[in-house]
Amino acid sequence: MIQDNLQPVERVIRVKGLQKRFGTNHVLKGIDYEVDKGEKIVVIGPSGSGKSTFLRCLNLLEIPSAGEIWFEDKLITDKKTNVNEVRRHMGMVFQQFNLFNNMTVMKNITLAPVKLGIMSKDEACETALSLLDRVNLRDKADSYPAQLSGGQKQRIAIVRALAMSPKVMLFDEPTSALDPEMVGEVLEVMKELADSGMTMVVVTHEMGFAKEVASKVLFMDEGIIMEEAEPETFFSNPQNQRTKDFLSKVL
Amino acid sequence: MNFYALGFLQSDFYQKFRNAFIVSDRYKLYFEGLGVTLKITVFAGLLGLLIGTAVAFMKLSKTRNGKPTVLSYIAQVYTDIIRGTPSVLQLMIMYFVVMASSKNPTLVAVLSFGINSGAYVSEIVRAGILAVDKGQEEAGRSLGLSSRTTMLNIIIPQAIKNALPPLGNEFIVLMKETAIVGYVGMTDLTRIANKISTRTYEAFMPLIGAAVIYFIIIKLLTIGLGYLERRLRKSDSR
Repeated sequence: MIQDNLQPVERVIRVKGLQKRFGTNHVLKGIDYEVDKGEKIVVIGPSGSGKSTFLRCLNLLEIPSAGEIWFEDKLITDKKTNVNEVRRHMGMVFQQFNLFNNMTVMKNITLAPVKLGIMSKDEACETALSLLDRVNLRDKADSYPAQLSGGQKQRIAIVRALAMSPKVMLFDEPTSALDPEMVGEVLEVMKELADSGMTMVVVTHEMGFAKEVASKVLFMDEGIIMEEAEPETFFSNPQNQRTKDFLSKVL
Repeated sequence: MNFYALGFLQSDFYQKFRNAFIVSDRYKLYFEGLGVTLKITVFAGLLGLLIGTAVAFMKLSKTRNGKPTVLSYIAQVYTDIIRGTPSVLQLMIMYFVVMASSKNPTLVAVLSFGINSGAYVSEIVRAGILAVDKGQEEAGRSLGLSSRTTMLNIIIPQAIKNALPPLGNEFIVLMKETAIVGYVGMTDLTRIANKISTRTYEAFMPLIGAAVIYFIIIKLLTIGLGYLERRLRKSDSR
């Protein structure tokens, strides 16, 4: 335990022997991985490989069946850990956007910071507006989600997560539900975010994004990490046969 | 006087109308009956909403491992019993057995109909909550909001929108179902109409009259609900 506390602070997430079962379905069969501050981890793999489940375990939207997950110096898989407190620091962006349909864009962004007492209402509104400026959607502050395009919704969803000033951002196939012409605008925001130094874990099928932005690419299949490499090596010289098969299909 | 008007005043139709509504100020009786009907409906409706919401949350409660709780079993038994027996019987059991010593028949009726309606409302509320996309809850929780805050601010407002049409339906059914209070000697709108028809030996006018009154009240209610629904759907407009 003492040894754990002596780990460098830069380590944001540590995963040890992570397993997840849904009934008899063994989705994650033992994942070990560490994410350092500022890293951009891109997770790719065929559907059903467990990559979304892996991501959702990181902020405990799925409760792991076995293994440990550490966030900074906290063992978050411990039952005594306050999950809500941990999640404040981990932003998440979903495939289906999941903007709150009953609220305006502004309310979507300010709800959590205000309810959790992190900011006053005025502060939260200011933060929201400056973040909306960053994604060029200030004029949509009073719109409802139903009035926005998919690309706009996803950019707002990113802003909503950012409003909590998270230490790491998790992206669960953020462009998979978008019309093709809207993929670009969302990836653009994600690239800017990456450039700003944000620690990111991204599950995606966008190989171009992986090549350009990732500091590490993970290839998952059958519930384990099959291959892990820097993007240049990963795409030009994959080692694992499964990785080669997968890349030959998608590239 | 105009020949046709005179003819109308002497007609059989008009005489029946007079007997049913005007002679000895009988129209007042309909309003008294309507008052009883509305009083029971409104209070029973509110009680049903209260019970139904509480029971819906009992049904949705889960243990840490995701298994149904004891509370959810209790809620299910309640719903089964209420939906599995006729409401007339429930009313009579309440009136002649459970609260036989009560001097307040309105209270007995309100409790009986409220408990009855609660079973149906609980299913409506449960369905309304389950119909809200699971992603809404996940998004709330992923921001660090507690399940309580997420429920109150995100799920319930959307669930209300889902539940409003069937709740309106339930309220309308409830209003008409109160017509059975005649079984326990209360004089609501239906009972009054029946009484007057036995007094005047003419059933058509009083019964149709009562039907028209029910219809008008429910039509007004429907219009009000439609207005409320449109307001709640504001956020859905494109």
